[in-house]
Amino acid sequence: MLNTNARDYLLSIWPMLPGEVLEDLAAIFQEFSAKRKTVLTAEGEVEKYLYLVQDGVQRAYAIGSDGREATLVFTYAPSFSGVADSFLLQKPSRYWFETLTPSKFLRANFRDFDAVLLKHPLLERLIRLALSQTLEGVLVRQIELQSFTAEQRFRTLMTRSPHLLQLVPHKYIANYLGMDPTNFSKLLGQIKI
Amino acid sequence: MQAKTLLDTLYQQTEAILDKAVHEWQNMPPQKLNVEPAPGRWSAAQCLAHLNAYGNYYLPAIEKAIQEAQQAGSTPATEFRSSWLGAYFTKLMQPDSKTKMKSPANAIPPTFLNPAETLAQFIDQQERMLKLIEAARTVNLNQVRIPISIAQWIRLKLGDTFGFYTAHHRRHVLQAERALEAVSNPVMAVEK
Repeated sequence: MLNTNARDYLLSIWPMLPGEVLEDLAAIFQEFSAKRKTVLTAEGEVEKYLYLVQDGVQRAYAIGSDGREATLVFTYAPSFSGVADSFLLQKPSRYWFETLTPSKFLRANFRDFDAVLLKHPLLERLIRLALSQTLEGVLVRQIELQSFTAEQRFRTLMTRSPHLLQLVPHKYIANYLGMDPTNFSKLLGQIKI
Repeated sequence: MQAKTLLDTLYQQTEAILDKAVHEWQNMPPQKLNVEPAPGRWSAAQCLAHLNAYGNYYLPAIEKAIQEAQQAGSTPATEFRSSWLGAYFTKLMQPDSKTKMKSPANAIPPTFLNPAETLAQFIDQQERMLKLIEAARTVNLNQVRIPISIAQWIRLKLGDTFGFYTAHHRRHVLQAERALEAVSNPVMAVEK
């Protein structure tokens, strides 16, 4: 069956995709939706899917030996999602992946994904570019975590993704910034006044 | 009533409450939650604190009961039948119920609250509740029973506990909304 939904999505991120490649790639995606706070991948599992976010907010988080959560990343449309390293390397995930709001996705399994990339070298290239951006994002976040003050991290996030404030409980944003929720609401109060 | 229909309805009602808290309440100045709409009337934060007090009792009790039922091999039933008492409590709690109630002394919230913390706890509890409603799909809503907070010897069916808990939440969430409305438009404050 022709998946026009997947085709439109892929064209929106890669407008130059030639027809045949687009058809083959769109064909590996299926629609999937999940309620709020659904764990899609648990620590120790191998990530089965590559997700494209259509709707909602998700997060990846690690649980430390003391039981504390560390939010690593938020994802929202339009973006890839899932536990990327576990998916690409087909190794057990070191962390958890869950929805924070009701979410809609398109998703593809590893076998189909691998096959379509082998068939179309252009896709290998596009995925490399997408992964380069991801790597850039991860390293920029590393800088923020290690050399920004909490307030600088807060302000950076407020410029980059202010819409998150209306979408997810603030405790997750505070956790992502490495702040306690009280400090977070103090800063939020300051920024609005 | 079909057990699935009941859980779907309760899930959707809880989701709507949580969505309001996340989308609106956590983004308003916290002090606003603390304003009494009229002398002696509960502020929005007090309404939420009142609900949190119930959550502190019921959420762990429901969690425990579902876990024990799962371990004991409980399986879902297609139909859920309210007990007489369960149906009565739920009806009493509904937002459109005409019955005025007095909250038990231990559930009357303090006047001075940290509104941001109260709201954060409220949001946490709604997330937990959604998970419990989902977990309840694996057990028999007629057989699992929860002792009620004001009288431990009365044990309501899980389906009824969910029913009156959610109705009670909707009632006080509406009250909180009216309180916030009165704070924003003092002229229109007509809470009687």
